[in-house]
Amino acid sequence: MNGWIGRCLRINLTEGRHNIEEIDPGLLEKFIGGRGLGARIFTDEVSPQVNPLSPENKLVFSSGPLVGTGAITGASCNVITKSALTGGLACAKMRGHFGAEMKFAGFDLLIVEGKAEMPVIVSIMDDKVRLIPALEYWGRTTVETEELFKNNLGDPWAARETYLVSIGPAGEKLLPLANLINDRFLPVGGAGIGAVMGSKNLKAIAVRGWHSLQVADGNRFMQVVTTLINKLNSAPLTQSMSQTGTAFLVGLCYQKGILPQNNFRRAPLPLRNIATDALNSAFALRSRGCFACPIACIKKADVKHSAYEGKGMAPTYLAIGSLGVNCGITDLTTIGMASMMCGEMGLDPVATGGTLATIMELVEKKLVTPEELKIDLRFGNGEAMVEALRLMATKKGYARRLGQGGLALAKEFGRPEVFMGVKGHSLSPFDPRAIQGMGLHFATCNYGPHHLFAYTFIDELLNVHQSLDPWEIGGKPLLVKEYQDTTAVMDSLGLCNWPLMGLKFNNYVPMVNSCLGTNYKADDLLFIGEKIWNLERMFNLKAGFDRTHDTLPERFIKEPVPDGPAEGQVSRIGEMLPEYYHLRGWNEQGEPRPETLQALNLEVGECQE
Amino acid sequence: MPRIKIDHTKCTGCRHCETACSLNHVANTVNPRRARIRVMRDGNRYYPVIAGPFVDAACTSKHYIVIGEQTYDMCAFCRASCPEKPYFVEAETGIPLKCDFCGIPPSPSCVRWCNTGALELVED
Repeated sequence: MNGWIGRCLRINLTEGRHNIEEIDPGLLEKFIGGRGLGARIFTDEVSPQVNPLSPENKLVFSSGPLVGTGAITGASCNVITKSALTGGLACAKMRGHFGAEMKFAGFDLLIVEGKAEMPVIVSIMDDKVRLIPALEYWGRTTVETEELFKNNLGDPWAARETYLVSIGPAGEKLLPLANLINDRFLPVGGAGIGAVMGSKNLKAIAVRGWHSLQVADGNRFMQVVTTLINKLNSAPLTQSMSQTGTAFLVGLCYQKGILPQNNFRRAPLPLRNIATDALNSAFALRSRGCFACPIACIKKADVKHSAYEGKGMAPTYLAIGSLGVNCGITDLTTIGMASMMCGEMGLDPVATGGTLATIMELVEKKLVTPEELKIDLRFGNGEAMVEALRLMATKKGYARRLGQGGLALAKEFGRPEVFMGVKGHSLSPFDPRAIQGMGLHFATCNYGPHHLFAYTFIDELLNVHQSLDPWEIGGKPLLVKEYQDTTAVMDSLGLCNWPLMGLKFNNYVPMVNSCLGTNYKADDLLFIGEKIWNLERMFNLKAGFDRTHDTLPERFIKEPVPDGPAEGQVSRIGEMLPEYYHLRGWNEQGEPRPETLQALNLEVGECQE
Repeated sequence: MPRIKIDHTKCTGCRHCETACSLNHVANTVNPRRARIRVMRDGNRYYPVIAGPFVDAACTSKHYIVIGEQTYDMCAFCRASCPEKPYFVEAETGIPLKCDFCGIPPSPSCVRWCNTGALELVED
């Protein structure tokens, strides 16, 4: 097969067995791979009512067909499971090299089920699948785990070609905020997956392989990829990405009042402390690319601080927003420290930042005192925050209660309205009052309010393909639907979505076809994207979500932005939602109509018990 | 004579050069192990290495290389397709691999796909 391998590795941890299965080619054609195929297999095999931390829950690692072929930014491996944080589907988009190496090891899909008696590491090396006892790894940070594992291999050549995905102490302690770490990258959108992996006593998965991938038309494929690289180079925004990573968004979001501060209650302080110039002077940035990525937006940096010393990912927009400004912190060294601590402990920065902002607001409202907490968690106190992260992840002291997530924490103090999130997941650092389309996406996203499941800001804020005003609502429901579908299909192909800042989705089609030997048109692919979105929606509906969860916290609907450029704006989610449902072909309750499912070729059996 | 100049400080470790090389030399096939360029990594740094012939002389002059604060074993950057490491050898046939600049005139595919400037074709 071209692009695809067509093999799936199923590992049963309870019985300590594994077997290799063929994947039905019909399924590959219908759901492509990656997120689509992963969601299809997961929703087929796991009941929506399953307890996320029980052995019945499964983890599906799914690489797209373009991953590892050299298609630009083809590096994405998606992990699908039922989230321990939201109770709905969770999807971690793993970048880096793990997905590609998984393909070279000979598998499109990796399904982990059951629960091991003792901590184990799954090692898939050169066609040998083994379960390695991992007692000596348990309790270690993700960085230590990777180093120790590679040392234990005893062969420096093999170690260089091995890639790991692991959980940190947070995942071992079953914190709902825990995420996976792969190849020392933080995957995005993975809050709630680390705990699932921890509940299976699975510390890490290591892969290495030497299988070949086939491409349908190699010459044409090479030409198309060369053209796309040149096209990307002529786009100014991808150049900014290459220089400072996603942090270049900080300044732009600030200008439109999108960057939130102090748990979404005011516009930020002067920008100069956190803008890209400050980032360049705070760290010596080194670029690091995911597999086959010409942009290389991941920046590595060293932090040397009296309280912390380490190497890791320099702050991205997400870290600066969630762990920084939204917690009142505008010192980049502290933000970098917190971000690296999240990476080592295996905490998701968005969910963790949201939880910390929640407790900080509770402290400010005097519902809990710093003495009670034993940490001085106030807005702007960076050192206390870094300390809280450490305690949280290792479940020590009072801070152990923070680890349950923002919503549970706010409920504990009887003030659920203080938690800024949807479906139990904290909001990404975009104020939905100042960027209406993103607000609608946050309310309706299947995976919780994460901006990386619909890149509407490319048009709303950066005006790349069309010029839209972020504060207006005209045309936004259609924009959100289009971006949600595009993202779904690109995740399924295994492509990163950031190049959409320089390329149109249509530009990708020749690359897809020359690689896979298919005859897709752009519309065919977007149709598949819509199908995937509806499939995920159906699972979530059965897992207990309904129309009432498609909303934003009251603060965004009732309280206008108090200051800054977007002063006076409120979210008009109520006006946009009916149109969105209509465009999606859903009824007023937000359920896909039977004729919609039929038109999407989603068989009844695929969506209902 | 044209050469490929390597600037390791610009390398991001994306391994696009490996896929380009493999696609160009083995029809319609991607496999970094069959590529004639490999990206070695050590911690946070990356070093592209282009395959060359294996001669005993290389090993007799072996010494340690200091870059920044770290000392490296020279084998880590050696371009020889030597029996000590799994690089630069066709797994099935055992034939050693060697960079051929993608034919004449030289237009190496790895340089074409390297977007960061770590690989550059120079005349000297």
